[in-house]
Amino acid sequence: MTCDLDCCKPSGSRQPSDGSTMIIESSDQVPRATLLKRFPVPRNFGVAPESRIVRGRTWPAPTGAVRVKSFEIYRYDPDSGKNPRLDTFEVDLDDCGPMVLDALFWIKNKVDSTLTFRRSCREGICGSCAMNMDGTNWLACTRFISDLGTPATIYPLANMRVIKDLVLDLTHVFAQYAMIEPWLQSRTPEPEKERLQSPEERSKLDGYYECILCFCCTSGCPSHWWNGDRFLGPAALLQAWRWLADSRDEAKGERLDVLEDPFRLYRCHTILNCTRTCPKGLNPGKAIAEIKKMVIERRS
Amino acid sequence: MDRQRMRSPLSRAMGLGSAKEGAEQWWMARVSAVALIPLTLWFVASIIAHTDSDYVTFIVWLRMPLVSILMVLLLIALFYHTALGLQVVIEDYVHSGAKFGALIAVRLGCVALAVTGILATMRIAFGG
Amino acid sequence: MSNSAAERNRPLSPNIQIYRPQLTSVLSIVNRITGVALSIYAVALVVWLVAAATGPWAYATVQGVIASRIGQIALLGCTFAFFLHLCGGIRHLVWDTAHGFELRSIYISGWAVVAASVVLSALAWIARSFVAG
Repeated sequence: MTCDLDCCKPSGSRQPSDGSTMIIESSDQVPRATLLKRFPVPRNFGVAPESRIVRGRTWPAPTGAVRVKSFEIYRYDPDSGKNPRLDTFEVDLDDCGPMVLDALFWIKNKVDSTLTFRRSCREGICGSCAMNMDGTNWLACTRFISDLGTPATIYPLANMRVIKDLVLDLTHVFAQYAMIEPWLQSRTPEPEKERLQSPEERSKLDGYYECILCFCCTSGCPSHWWNGDRFLGPAALLQAWRWLADSRDEAKGERLDVLEDPFRLYRCHTILNCTRTCPKGLNPGKAIAEIKKMVIERRS
Repeated sequence: MDRQRMRSPLSRAMGLGSAKEGAEQWWMARVSAVALIPLTLWFVASIIAHTDSDYVTFIVWLRMPLVSILMVLLLIALFYHTALGLQVVIEDYVHSGAKFGALIAVRLGCVALAVTGILATMRIAFGG
Repeated sequence: MSNSAAERNRPLSPNIQIYRPQLTSVLSIVNRITGVALSIYAVALVVWLVAAATGPWAYATVQGVIASRIGQIALLGCTFAFFLHLCGGIRHLVWDTAHGFELRSIYISGWAVVAASVVLSALAWIARSFVAG
């Protein structure tokens, strides 16, 4: 019985194909060629003084290490009163597992035990270890170290308040998720058994219910960077669509009323960074397009 | 210091509630875009066809009824689409009180430019 | 004054400073930049029409500016921006019907927009030089 998850496929099929890195077919594809690592803006462009990143210290590899890779990791210590910094760790690849999360554990166990990050399932289903690696958001437990450049850069998810190191304050994005009322709402009294739903109706939820709320998409959305206080972001909107598409839900009108707002929904300009970065291969861009279609349908 | 800190996260996310509108603007941007596809392509093709033609030829062409109509339609669709597009850009990037001034300036500017362009076209179309 | 973590603002993690430019975000910002550029060119269009309505002397002045080196470069920029915005806009209109959202389609349509814009701009300028004789 073979597992269908991308991280379980034999490594031969997981390598990005040299021929067509121009056409990305699934979000786990890491392009080999890099024209630009970052947008050509100043390093501290529009950054508040307390968020400016300074150079940190370098931790060399242990003696005798043969395969060594440098990791530049964002660090922030709230108790020190200092600015965030970028520490460089040289990791012995022969001594740690293949995933970026393994490297983080190796650093924490063998080099610097103050390195702080969230983690739980180590198999890409809990969403705890979401972070920005080499400029794109993904889960650390399903990103191969060999897919990262040298030095590999690890930052927390973009545009979030940092509690410590790679641990973020996700209160606001979870509040936006709570705002769309992610539960079944109905006026029809409860039936004796389950609320009925045909297989075709159930299939409309495929690709939306699997969201693990890692917020890679929302923190990769430039519209959410500039208007995150009012724009709901792809994660909350994908879940909003999940409930709008559910045939058992009876609050479609009320849900659309909550969403139809120039900022909550219509800050989405179909940039599609969300679909590109989803570590579960979901499509928030499509979900948002479906919501916009439904809004137009109900007024014409 | 930061009055925001006392609000609950849910209240901060809810803000001032849903405006319950925004679909009209989104829809009209698409409608004007669809109108602009043939109109702009016609305009670009006409400009290319009239490269190096002299003033009289150009005015005679612009005086043709169909051309005048298309030019007026182009100006209306173009400035409507421009006004909507620039409104979205300003709302995205400007968050201070200057936002409302900028929005008003852009909308009035587009109306003024559209009226100017239409009247210029009419002047050519009806002028002696 | 105490400098406790609760009183200081938590730092914001870097966003555009470190996020990788991808075809998705790059084409989107290019569509916006070309749109804003075309808004400015729209003003030039009205100026040109007013000049035509004013009389042959005003028209000749404006044509002279367009025919100058800077004018020709601006015109080239205008055609390229126009075709980029046109092809990007059509791609957006297709997305508004909720089609073409698979990553493969997004990337193929994205490169097609770039290629089509270059080709159409070249064709426009070739046609122009052909008509000019």
